[in-house]
Amino acid sequence: MKRKIGVYLCHCGSNIAGYLDVAKAADYAATLPYVVVARHYSFMCSDPGQDMIKKDIKELGLNGVLVCSCSPTLHLRTFRAACAEAGLNPHLCEMATIRELSSWVHSHDRVAATEKAMALIAAGVKRVLYRNPLEAKWAPVNPNTLIVGGGIAGIQTALEIASAGEKVYLVEKEPSIGGRMAQLGKTFPDLDSTEELLIPRMEMVKTSPNIELLTYSEIAEIGGYIGNFKTTINKKARCVDETKCNGCGECWAKCPVEVPSEFDYGMRKRKAIYIPFSKAVPKIPVIDRKNCKYFIDGSCKACESVCPTKAIDFKQEDKKIEIDAGACIISTGYDTFDPSPITQLGYGKIDNVVTSPEFERMLNPDGPTGGKIVMKNGATPKSVAIAHCVGSRDQNYHQYCSRVCCMYSLKYARLIKQQLGADTNVYQMYIDMRCFGKGHEEFYKQASEEGVNFIRGKIGQISTETITDEEKGKLVVVCEDSLLGSMIRVPVDMVVLSVAMKPRADTADISRAFLLGRSADGFFLERHPKLDPVGTMLDGIFAVGCCHGPKDIGDTVAQATGAAARALELISKGRVDIESATAFVDEEVCAGCGVCESICAYSAIEVNPKTKLAKVNEAICKGCGACAATCPSKAMQLKNFTHKQLIDVIDEATKDFAGLAK
Amino acid sequence: MTKSVTLSVKDGKIREAVNSFLKELFNKKTIDAMLVPLAHPAGTNVVQALVTKAVFVDKADVFAPVMPVNSARLIQSITRLTTVDRKTAVVLRPCEMRALIELAKLKQVQLDKLVLIGIDCPGAYAVNNYPKFAAEKKSDDFVKAGFQWAEDTMLRTGCQICEYPYPLTADITIGMLGLDPSKQILIQANSAQGEEILSKAGMSLEIDSDLAQKRQTAITKFAGEIKERRKEFFEKTKREIGGIEKLSKVFAQCIKCQNCRQACPVCYCRECFFISPTFELDADRYLRQAEKKGALRMPSDTLLFHLTRMNHMGNSCVGCGACEEACPNDIPLLKIFQLAGSEVQELFSYVPGRSLEESLPATAFKEKEFEQIGEK
Repeated sequence: MKRKIGVYLCHCGSNIAGYLDVAKAADYAATLPYVVVARHYSFMCSDPGQDMIKKDIKELGLNGVLVCSCSPTLHLRTFRAACAEAGLNPHLCEMATIRELSSWVHSHDRVAATEKAMALIAAGVKRVLYRNPLEAKWAPVNPNTLIVGGGIAGIQTALEIASAGEKVYLVEKEPSIGGRMAQLGKTFPDLDSTEELLIPRMEMVKTSPNIELLTYSEIAEIGGYIGNFKTTINKKARCVDETKCNGCGECWAKCPVEVPSEFDYGMRKRKAIYIPFSKAVPKIPVIDRKNCKYFIDGSCKACESVCPTKAIDFKQEDKKIEIDAGACIISTGYDTFDPSPITQLGYGKIDNVVTSPEFERMLNPDGPTGGKIVMKNGATPKSVAIAHCVGSRDQNYHQYCSRVCCMYSLKYARLIKQQLGADTNVYQMYIDMRCFGKGHEEFYKQASEEGVNFIRGKIGQISTETITDEEKGKLVVVCEDSLLGSMIRVPVDMVVLSVAMKPRADTADISRAFLLGRSADGFFLERHPKLDPVGTMLDGIFAVGCCHGPKDIGDTVAQATGAAARALELISKGRVDIESATAFVDEEVCAGCGVCESICAYSAIEVNPKTKLAKVNEAICKGCGACAATCPSKAMQLKNFTHKQLIDVIDEATKDFAGLAK
Repeated sequence: MTKSVTLSVKDGKIREAVNSFLKELFNKKTIDAMLVPLAHPAGTNVVQALVTKAVFVDKADVFAPVMPVNSARLIQSITRLTTVDRKTAVVLRPCEMRALIELAKLKQVQLDKLVLIGIDCPGAYAVNNYPKFAAEKKSDDFVKAGFQWAEDTMLRTGCQICEYPYPLTADITIGMLGLDPSKQILIQANSAQGEEILSKAGMSLEIDSDLAQKRQTAITKFAGEIKERRKEFFEKTKREIGGIEKLSKVFAQCIKCQNCRQACPVCYCRECFFISPTFELDADRYLRQAEKKGALRMPSDTLLFHLTRMNHMGNSCVGCGACEEACPNDIPLLKIFQLAGSEVQELFSYVPGRSLEESLPATAFKEKEFEQIGEK
């Protein structure tokens, strides 16, 4: 086929034409081999600009197009679509970035900028020359969605998708859904009971015909690609038959074993057969096999003997379940920072120094104290200090701000005053007050007006050593008041440490399994902080809620709803476009060393152990080219980016252009 | 603790003692085949041979100071596509074994049913020089003289700066470090397979902590010395060839015959990029390249060839020196590759051929790596 290439230079208003000689560059382009037409125009991306290309394709029979303008990220799609409309395979259209790489960076030297544009155009024409038409490829989308993590983020996403009539698998590793939100007392800034907000939604998950709930389950394996993920779930043995159990509670009432409850941070006991909290969904207990007497020495079967539905099944085993899904939502939540390493705060050593999650349990009516704020001896505190930024904004622990602590610390102050009386002294030891959300600043103002004491400074020490009579029997909070510029001692009955939110302990495992990137703070990395805060680098996988970074419930729900929309977008489209410029293997040359296989970030390459040849799964390949760059014999290449082509293009771009623009 | 046994050497006949041990492996049917260096009837070379009859083992000369090819390449030829179907022992020098492990990581050899027998290696002479040695001396004399890196200037450069003259991944070690080889030779089981084979061959293995201690002391002492020697060597090499000008001077005599890559045991491509269609230029391209500079060295891309090979293989370079020996014009390739190789290997804390479990630096992503570069 005789190549006929059209070259189109864009003025981009004065962005390009103001700094280089587009007419001269176009004249030069016209002299290049195979170029049959070279034009320049004020805005190539405008309708008249695109029409110019379409007209030439039809009238001059172009079979290659080079648009010399901005970057391909901005407009490659536009120009390829225009070419396709005129009947040219879109892969025969290329761009030369003469704006970002020439006019903008060489705005001080018109001649040099023009010469560089010529080099980029010459190289671009070579690129077009080597391009082959590629077929557009697509794959069908499985309409199911897999959600990993059943906190408020996962619940919200599941409900949104299910209410649109699509199937959801909600996988939760704990015995009940609810996540961290279920542990909290009240929300800010409206002081609503979390229970009233959350429990109805948990019940909706249970009753929705479109949601299949898999609690006490974890992801064992994941493979596949957008639209077609294949996962294996490990459903851990509950030792209770879920189809028989009616949640009557006879078993945990009878169980003789008591161990500290994880859900209550050890503030009360649970049984060896238990539900984590009274409103658990599903209300089906699990047997903690590590502590159950039957599993230790076979000495007890109390639960089995009292169970009215014969649901106890000591022989139950872990089960593998295979789930196919088109989209995956990761909503695995966060852990809280353990402040024991900050020894000067005395956590774990001094009574009545508690963490914020523990304090939340105290505020929860279903919690270990029945919603009462009490000290270890059962008395009510007369004064409480709240330490902000414990483990957050701290070079030694987490540099980031946990975003919610200022607000929940204010919430504590107001709830303490509500419950224990307005005369209770509450101190906030803060670095900066960050109350930026809707209604948050007002909430802060209200707390101030209610007489909460604000001390700007970090706590230096919490101590039981007292000096004055006033301090006797109290905890002394020693801190610097940085507004006064002096050290102060504040005697209080109780200290709440507002601890940082941090990535879950198993974040690394999840990130490996789903091939998710992580940002420097350890949380999952979004595709784009502004334009795609829900997506991840892997198509079809979305990260929502606090596994993506600290955020409050409102932001979490907003993000979850966004992810649901993204999953539904996929489902309603029903098909996914697949990259056409994928890698391919020259089987004559491939030595089967597998370096490409191990370097592929998308697991798109496999070496066949029999033939000793690498094989590319084109549905997964993103055309990134890492394999092609790594392969020492260059058996691995990228369609339309072959090595011969690249070397030729470099050769062309490094020709001598001096003097051409004068 | 590894189990071992010592072979007593009668009348200083080391080769005889080792050969009778190797023969015993055949006789007791612990192995079915053996890749082992046999003395060539011409008397001027010792070459690897794939032996299936015990009688040929009499000709073996495992310590003869010559390594015509790095045997890892031979094992690649044998096992790249299929595994051996019967137990095959391969008697290798440490650098050959390390290259073998690199090839295994690159899926170019299959270790199934192979029994790796490694020797403590006092070095080798170039194939050209071996006849001079063989005319006057026997391998036993060479072994008895002990490790002579600094003194014996005829030793190949690679041997003179060898960091690991003892096997790192053998099933069975034939050793002499820490003992007097004219009296006894160590046979050590370094794996379950090695132990099984030696027991089956009727050797009464035991844990000899005294012997192990002596060997360890010798290795530690050696490691300290070689570190210094290598440092000195690299500093000298940098002075000689550092910088593009000196480097191009070194390669002035290169005729781009590509013998070096043919001899290199870890250069594993089926078709080298440099003979691929990418480098089949048309006349116009040649002339245009010439136009750019005014004069184009022919054959073209000579320096690029070496730099690319270094880029591809530097991490896996075991320093065997096969490249240098294969060069018809005595370009000091070993020096250059070891200098560059050892520096990148150090960056990745990577020792080629140390362990099969250690993945190639290019293929493994570690969260904490190269923190001095880019984002932390």
